[in-house]
Amino acid sequence: MAEVLTTASHDDHDHKPHGWRRWVYATNHKDIGTMYLIFACIMFFVGGGAAMLIRLELFKPGLQFFDPQFFNSLTTMHALIMIFGAVMPAWTGLANWMIPMQLGAPDMALPRLNNLSFWILPFAFTLLLSSFFVPGGAPAGGWTMYPPLILQTGAAFPMLIFSVHLMGASSILGAINVIVTIMNMRASGITLLRMPLFVWTWLITAYLLIAVMPVLAGAVTMLLTDHFFGTTFFTAAGGGDPVMFQHIFWFFGHPEVYILILPAFGIISEVIPTFSRKPLFGYEAMVYATASIAFLSFIVWAHHMFTVGMPLAAQLFFMLSTMLIAVPTGVKVFNWTATMWKGSLSFEPPMLFALAFLFLFTIGGFSGLMLAIVPADYQYQDTYFVVAHFHYVLVPGAIFGIMAGVYYWLPKWTGRMYDQTLAKWHFWLSTIFVNVLFFPQHFLGLAGMPRRIPDYAVQFTDWNMVSSIGGFGFGLAQLLFPYLIWKCVRSGVPVGPRAWEGAHGLEWELPSPPPYHSWTTPPSDAVIARGAEH
Amino acid sequence: MSATGIEPTAQRRRLRRSALLWATVAAAFYLGFIVLAVLRSRR
Repeated sequence: MAEVLTTASHDDHDHKPHGWRRWVYATNHKDIGTMYLIFACIMFFVGGGAAMLIRLELFKPGLQFFDPQFFNSLTTMHALIMIFGAVMPAWTGLANWMIPMQLGAPDMALPRLNNLSFWILPFAFTLLLSSFFVPGGAPAGGWTMYPPLILQTGAAFPMLIFSVHLMGASSILGAINVIVTIMNMRASGITLLRMPLFVWTWLITAYLLIAVMPVLAGAVTMLLTDHFFGTTFFTAAGGGDPVMFQHIFWFFGHPEVYILILPAFGIISEVIPTFSRKPLFGYEAMVYATASIAFLSFIVWAHHMFTVGMPLAAQLFFMLSTMLIAVPTGVKVFNWTATMWKGSLSFEPPMLFALAFLFLFTIGGFSGLMLAIVPADYQYQDTYFVVAHFHYVLVPGAIFGIMAGVYYWLPKWTGRMYDQTLAKWHFWLSTIFVNVLFFPQHFLGLAGMPRRIPDYAVQFTDWNMVSSIGGFGFGLAQLLFPYLIWKCVRSGVPVGPRAWEGAHGLEWELPSPPPYHSWTTPPSDAVIARGAEH
Repeated sequence: MSATGIEPTAQRRRLRRSALLWATVAAAFYLGFIVLAVLRSRR
């Protein structure tokens, strides 16, 4: 009997540390993934809080609540928190949870490094957020940190630079871990072209991170030495060139946009086939399209700065290379649509978010094409049209991609099905309000309203009011999300290994919830063959 | 044997080498761009 019990306790693969040690010393990919996702959720609400305050101030013309300096701090911090604190950690959390399970690997390749890359983040953001309380207030020069304006930041300046360095270090360590895991830990039989699209998009994202996060770190190091050590990299008075900062920043900044969106492409490529009950149309084309987008992202950076002045040949090059991105992106949109064609569609919450992604991200893509046209960009530059464009890419793009992923895999993680009716409420409220929030900003931009201002001319009042109402609605609708997850964990209906009938992939071959240590025995060829159908 | 069918010591060595390679690439991008900026400001 004792022998039987011993065997049983070994079979459940569920030995885990308890109490705070489980989280502080975490090396398990699922625990670290959970911590990343919780951190991202907290930052989403902190960054969202800043957005609510911005929309509150912009509800009416005139200065209502905040002085202009604090307003600028809000816009700067909103962007930094959402990009580096919410979206990027959410993707890393999903990568931690899913990549080992999808590849038949027992864990990430470098578990202690994984722990370090997570635990850097709370320190980085505590440092950044505490800058609100130092003399001069939080950074207010925009998330792009252009000199010479950013060099006028008060005591918060070194806090900003150090926190950006920490975020960069965390991302680089995470990216190294992802690449090493994917290249070395795949179960035998899972060739590169049998990997799920989520893994592929993350692999390409990790290469982008390795290439560009150090460039951002280099740029902010030079800002630091300009500020404190008398160098003049970006100071015209000393022979430096402020425009050079913009070039270096956007060499990081444009691939960063794809760092934020490529994993969403991966998730949509998982969700649409599942709820269309068809294999993904053009799997290999999707892989090559992702790689093409990543490559092109390195040669388009100056489209963010057409108005600084550059030779005609450079303008033409950056305009045309930017437009070229529409080709692989079009391949993707076509393939997702073709996957649904004659499929047996059903509209569960992950599919609803994926469909909204498809429509609304494409709107963001179209306005991107408009911005790529140099003479038109001279009109749109620094207006609300740009704000509308990148929010369409990042909110119904990246955020909806994350929502689709969480709603898709939540039953796997928890072993329980969430309240789908409530999730559909979350979807519809989010989708309606996100359009009420951002679509009018196109009109405001075309009418000439500049971005990053706390006050505006009276003719912009009506659409600003509409946009603010959309913002408050969208923000309130998001409160459903943590409630829904909490409710699912506490009282969701138990589900089997394959929570969605059309789902394929190795993760669905594991029980729900998966054991604490999964794939300690590599999956057999039969399991791989069943799971690796695209 | 590890999940990938490679002997554990060899697998550990492979992981370490792979991680160091990518850390070196990241460091090269960091220093490379600073060196580029220095060279440009000397022109």
